[in-house]
Amino acid sequence: MNRLIGMVVLIGAVVAGLVGLSAAFYLAAGGLAWVFAEYLGAPPSFGAAIANVVTLMLVVMMISGSLLTVAERKWSAMMQNRIGANRIKVLGSALGGIPFLAADALKMLTKESAPPRGRTRVLYEMAPALAFAPVFALFAIIPLGPPIPLGAIVDSAAGALGSAGVALQVASPDAGLLYIFAISSLAVYGTSLAGWASNNKLALLGGVRASSQMISYEVSLGLSLVGTMLAYRTLRLEEMVTAQGLAVLGPVPALGILLQPVGFLIFFASAFAETKRAPFDLPEGESEIVGYFVEYSGMKFGLMFLAEFVEIVVLSAIITAVFLGGWHPIVVSTEWLRQTVTPLWFGAICGGAFLAKMIVLMWLQLTIRWLLPRFRFDQIQKLCWKILLPAAIANIFITAGALLLDPSMQLLAWIGVATIVIIGAITAAVGRAPAPGEHDHAAAHAVAGH
Amino acid sequence: MPYPIENRPADLRERMYFPEIIRGIGVLTKHFLRNLFLTRDKNPDVLERRRGELWSDNATLQYPEERAPYPPGYRGLHRLVPREDGKPRCVACYMCATACPAQCIYIEAGEYPDDPIEKYPVKFVIDELRCIVCGFCVEACPKDAIRMDSGEHTPPSYERGAQIWDEKRLLRGPPISYQYDPWLRRGSPSIPADKLEEMRARAKPFPTVATDEYAQTPGFSVRALAQEAKERAARPK
Repeated sequence: MNRLIGMVVLIGAVVAGLVGLSAAFYLAAGGLAWVFAEYLGAPPSFGAAIANVVTLMLVVMMISGSLLTVAERKWSAMMQNRIGANRIKVLGSALGGIPFLAADALKMLTKESAPPRGRTRVLYEMAPALAFAPVFALFAIIPLGPPIPLGAIVDSAAGALGSAGVALQVASPDAGLLYIFAISSLAVYGTSLAGWASNNKLALLGGVRASSQMISYEVSLGLSLVGTMLAYRTLRLEEMVTAQGLAVLGPVPALGILLQPVGFLIFFASAFAETKRAPFDLPEGESEIVGYFVEYSGMKFGLMFLAEFVEIVVLSAIITAVFLGGWHPIVVSTEWLRQTVTPLWFGAICGGAFLAKMIVLMWLQLTIRWLLPRFRFDQIQKLCWKILLPAAIANIFITAGALLLDPSMQLLAWIGVATIVIIGAITAAVGRAPAPGEHDHAAAHAVAGH
Repeated sequence: MPYPIENRPADLRERMYFPEIIRGIGVLTKHFLRNLFLTRDKNPDVLERRRGELWSDNATLQYPEERAPYPPGYRGLHRLVPREDGKPRCVACYMCATACPAQCIYIEAGEYPDDPIEKYPVKFVIDELRCIVCGFCVEACPKDAIRMDSGEHTPPSYERGAQIWDEKRLLRGPPISYQYDPWLRRGSPSIPADKLEEMRARAKPFPTVATDEYAQTPGFSVRALAQEAKERAARPK
């Protein structure tokens, strides 16, 4: 019972902490925007972008990426009725395994780098950075919080400067989602070059597997989001998030997952394959080939390892923005919230909602990673080319047809609701349910040789 | 627990794959939430733990803090059984050292200066690295002076020297006296009179049947196994 109360308090504290964190991010972005505008004459978006690079890309992404390494151990332990990492104790408390973060970092940084003989030197040294950098860059266009006027953050900003919007978003290129596709397709270079440059057959095999898998899944990854682009008539993520706040079926907002449930599933599966984690972890495949990073040690390996977890963070952020309503706190109406609290707190609560959704999605990805065994290679390619790709194309046609018939998205929403109901009904329907009982056990005894 | 699973081809719902994954996520979520919110029973006897309902399903034994108790018949680290006055019961008869197949017991006998009869071990050393934990020394001892009932295994060490246990480390645990102990029957100048009375009052009758209450594991008996084997052999084929 104590644990129950403690956990509820902890979860409440985490949510409050996320809101506080977003408020701090807004203060940093607004403060720097005002300083740059006031003293250097730069546009306010300039200072805000610099602050956001530090707060969002370094603080949010790197910290949540490295915390995920610990979370993977602890959460998988909980799913498997174990306890998980708790041997490092600070003042007698395991602190949920978080001190392992420091231990891991210390180990990675102080480990000897043992490069293989006969490597292609330049590519070998470059590969970890090439694996990490694209993932890192992806986070730049994630709209973590709504734009709020600069005057609401910094009191001395007035006039045109005061009404300029400051959002928790580093950059907002017109290409939007295309930027995501472009950059995420670069990630394959890191892995395949690491495999190629290591002068190791197993690493090469891992690199080849990685490149074939990632290039295959990029097709369905791109096509799965076309439906959302059609529905929201934009490529920019922040406009998609804004559009998701509008009501479509009575009070129900036009969430991406409601309009595009099939697109969501396809995107999730494809992006999961892009992260190269179980069940799509053939490029690593610890039990068969050690993977494309078999010849890397120390922090070079750590960078590839971290890239995987950062990819999880980025994937969660993209799904949150495109399918789960972004920074709209779904439980309360955004408009009501905007009128009730001050702009700064409105932004903070919205940012907190985005981060909370991201955490849930990261948890979901770890759950799936511990749910499924590794696919065979033919199964991976079959899933991509024979299932996801046709489904994605069909989804595009159905979405486009529904939007032609009814541009107000109502028909599309109804189709989405019907799809969700059908999937739910199939899931709930009784399938093969192994129910071991006394009778079954007795039957097992009766089998010859038992 | 093995049970037969009907081996039929996957039906349509299973071939659709996604619904089964969603169901699997549900199963993992259930385990995750149970173990996140509910307390783990820390009873070191894992089979006795409360699980399910309002308790976590966790069965992990956090080893250094929670230790599974050894069964009662466990042959653990030796100990030299003390008398109530703190001296060893051992009379340095060398029977354990003779019986020891690993020859890991070294005894040097001495005599109490004030007692013309009694011997005692000046040195009683067991090399725990050579010991094969067969328990023959315990069987051989006529004085019940060496036992393996400490319920713990030999603690690990960084040096070999630490594994050589001498009489100072071996002499520990609850003292035992029997009514037929010679030092109780005729008294000993090395034991004060009032202490002797106390020891006599506490003494137990010496066991006439060779059953060791410390070596009886519930549900397991060599004699019962032997009886079973005898019955099996006697049964007509």
